[in-house]
Amino acid sequence: MADSGAPKPSSSVKLVLLGEAAVGKSSLVLRFVNNDFQENKEPTIGAAFLTQKCNLPTRTIKFEIWDTAGQERFASLAPMYYRNAQAALVVYDLTKPTSLIKAKHWVAELQRQASPGIVIALVGNKLDLTNDSAGGDGEGAGVGDGEDARKVTTEEAKSYAEEEGLLFFETSAKTGYNVTEVFTAIANAIPETSLKTARGPGASSAAARTEEQRVNLNGPRDPNAKEGCAC
Amino acid sequence: MESLADTLWDVVICGTGLQQSLLALALSRSDKKVLHIDPNDFYGGAEAAFSLQEVESWVEKVETGKEGLFEAASVKKLGGDTGLSFPRAYSLALAPQLIHARSTLLSQLVSSRAYRQVEFLAVGSFSIFKPSPDSSQKPTLVRIPSTREDVFSTTAISAKAKRGLMKFLKFVLDYDITPQTDTWQPHADAPLTEFLLKEFKMDQELQTYIITLTLSLDGKINTRDGLAVIHRHLSSMGMYGPGFAALYPKWGGLSEIAQVSCRAGAVGGAVYMLGTGVKTMNDKDDPIVIELSSGDTIKTRKVVRANESATDRFGINRLVAVVGSSLKSLFESTVEGAPKPAVAIVAFPAGSLSTATGEASTSPVYLSVHSSDTGECPANQSVLYFTTGSEHASQDLLQQALDSFPAALSGDTVPQCLYKLQYKQLQSSAHSQANGSIFDFAPPASALAFDDSILQSVQDAWKMVLGDEAVEEEYLTFADREGAMDDDESV
Ligand SMILES: Cc1cc2nc3c(=O)[nH]c(=O)nc-3n(C[C@H](O)[C@H](O)[C@H](O)COP(=O)(O)OP(=O)(O)OC[C@H]3O[C@@H](n4cnc5c(N)ncnc54)[C@H](O)[C@@H]3O)c2cc1C
Ligand SMILES: Nc1nc2c(ncn2[C@@H]2O[C@H](COP(=O)(O)OP(=O)(O)OP(=O)(O)O)[C@@H](O)[C@H]2O)c(=O)[nH]1
Ligand SMILES: [Mg+2]
Repeated sequence: MADSGAPKPSSSVKLVLLGEAAVGKSSLVLRFVNNDFQENKEPTIGAAFLTQKCNLPTRTIKFEIWDTAGQERFASLAPMYYRNAQAALVVYDLTKPTSLIKAKHWVAELQRQASPGIVIALVGNKLDLTNDSAGGDGEGAGVGDGEDARKVTTEEAKSYAEEEGLLFFETSAKTGYNVTEVFTAIANAIPETSLKTARGPGASSAAARTEEQRVNLNGPRDPNAKEGCAC
Repeated sequence: MESLADTLWDVVICGTGLQQSLLALALSRSDKKVLHIDPNDFYGGAEAAFSLQEVESWVEKVETGKEGLFEAASVKKLGGDTGLSFPRAYSLALAPQLIHARSTLLSQLVSSRAYRQVEFLAVGSFSIFKPSPDSSQKPTLVRIPSTREDVFSTTAISAKAKRGLMKFLKFVLDYDITPQTDTWQPHADAPLTEFLLKEFKMDQELQTYIITLTLSLDGKINTRDGLAVIHRHLSSMGMYGPGFAALYPKWGGLSEIAQVSCRAGAVGGAVYMLGTGVKTMNDKDDPIVIELSSGDTIKTRKVVRANESATDRFGINRLVAVVGSSLKSLFESTVEGAPKPAVAIVAFPAGSLSTATGEASTSPVYLSVHSSDTGECPANQSVLYFTTGSEHASQDLLQQALDSFPAALSGDTVPQCLYKLQYKQLQSSAHSQANGSIFDFAPPASALAFDDSILQSVQDAWKMVLGDEAVEEEYLTFADREGAMDDDESV
């Protein structure tokens, strides 16, 4: 993603990650944000918040990422995040069929409860544990001739995603395969009109409006403001 | 994984209303083990914001007496389903309070970095509803001048009245030092209206302007409190930009602040459980043993909860209406360079309305109009929040206000009312208090502007939880979390 230098319009997108514990949500974020991977990543407690920019040809998208904890005891948290989200990444582990079932539950809940315009991507992670040579760029995503741990077929997940109108990817947070692609696809799928201003149901049209309307608490302010009574 | 039961919690916070949520924010950088539960299946408690579906289930709960502070709730869709958008396009606030720029809440949200997650909008003009003097004329809305420029330019008041108003505005600016204190202190407990008449020779109309700025529910605010509130209003003017004194959080007012605070708590590692309350509690033991409604039994050192039994019958009545018009004339910026306001306040002074049986109103009705920019309704609609102190005919009075209001609008197409929610919110004179290892927050106040006094209770609860570890200077003062910095900010 080359930067042309000329300032492009920039907008923020709230994105929430959902999925069963240990499917690799935090690892996907770590790969996307820091291009890093940790073999023994500790479970997320509560939630984590990170930001990362994504440069598209015509605009810059700043992702505000809410990485939620997959452990059941944190399940109550999710509504707080997806209520406000414009995009959701629902992750399963393609070596673990139960994680796809959980993912389907999240998709159903999002369709029922989240903002109607929310962009959802279904992501099967840990592709490196399979024999797929899929996109094996250089080092390859597959483990070569080791045993194939895949338990969820691409076809099964893909046809489900198509039925529900979701974006679909298989990724490896470990090798980095397809990770940036997921976020770029989401960035591209967010309708231009819903960015910046037209974010919500009550959104208005003119593109510069929100900026002009939003009150900046950190901006210049007059600590001795006495306008009201400077007479 | 440590289970709920195996953990010795430092504190169990019960309820996700604003006070409890701010406490969660305050504890979010401590290493305390926090379990935050709410018997409701939504966040925000008495400060929640609801989609239309959620309103319906809430109304049902109120009617079965399960929402202690609320009663007499009802909801009505008017004109069938036409006009209304889908239920989730709405976010109706139970606590549509405006927040003055000077409020400590805002400075705490900034110092704790939580403000980054909230979008603040400007509260625009304050107006007064003037009933038509006879049937041949329409009622009107008169904007209250509250800046010097406003006072100069207004045509609504006489030159003599202007001088009186100017004198008063100047007085309020330094009302808390001598010689001003000598002027008002003898009247401290008398109604502000009397003081305005005696000391500033204000006629009833000007008195009404000033009382409206206090947002006093019964219109009988005393001089001490009234001057403090007016001072807050005037000194807030221009603080975050020209032409406005107060702010409103987008997407449902204080509900948004509560949610953002809980999220910060979650990022800090607190465990959240909705739909879970305290079934039994044994506070004789240390640690305290709690049986949760989920069936789990847990142990905790401290408990913070809210007192939700209303001891007073006094309270407010509220009518929330969704109307099918953007009510543009109410949201025009009056000062150059001012952000476009999303909220406008209208007061119906005592006497300006009469009930169906012909009785004149004895206390004011306040209306907070929210444009679709608040995210509370779709474009081309607005949400009207009417509030009045509960009296025998309050419900009727609110309906009268809703019915009379459209005629006073200039230029707009007469808005059609699409949806109506009504309820009564009770208050309590109970104070927040610590009792050994248990802290009880007072029920939330139902004033029209956010009252900073609850912030002290939150800090007291924080002190009880942290004990000796509490460092007051560091209260709610946090650095940005790594990776969460807004790198555009310095540009
Ligand atoms: C309670 C609430 C809180 C929010 N808080 C935030 C926040 O803090 N920050 C933020 O940035 N955004 C917030 N949002 C807005 C949310 O982020 C946006 O709605 C989301 O980004 C999608 O925007 P959109 O314009 O793509 O779709 P929307 O405008 O939400 O929906 C697209 C359009 O599709 C139609 N539609 C969709 N579903 C249905 C349906 N079921 N029935 C009928 N018509 C339908 C409607 O015409 C709708 O306008 C909030 C929304 C809600 C409801
Ligand atoms: N082989 C392989 N391991 C992965 C991949 N992604 C994550 N892991 C490992 O899976 C484990 C769990 O990853 P996390 O990123 O913590 O999972 P999570 O979904 O965030 O888990 P919770 O926070 O508990 O919900 C870690 O040990 C990771 O190293 C991947 O693509 N391939
Ligand atoms: Mg994680």
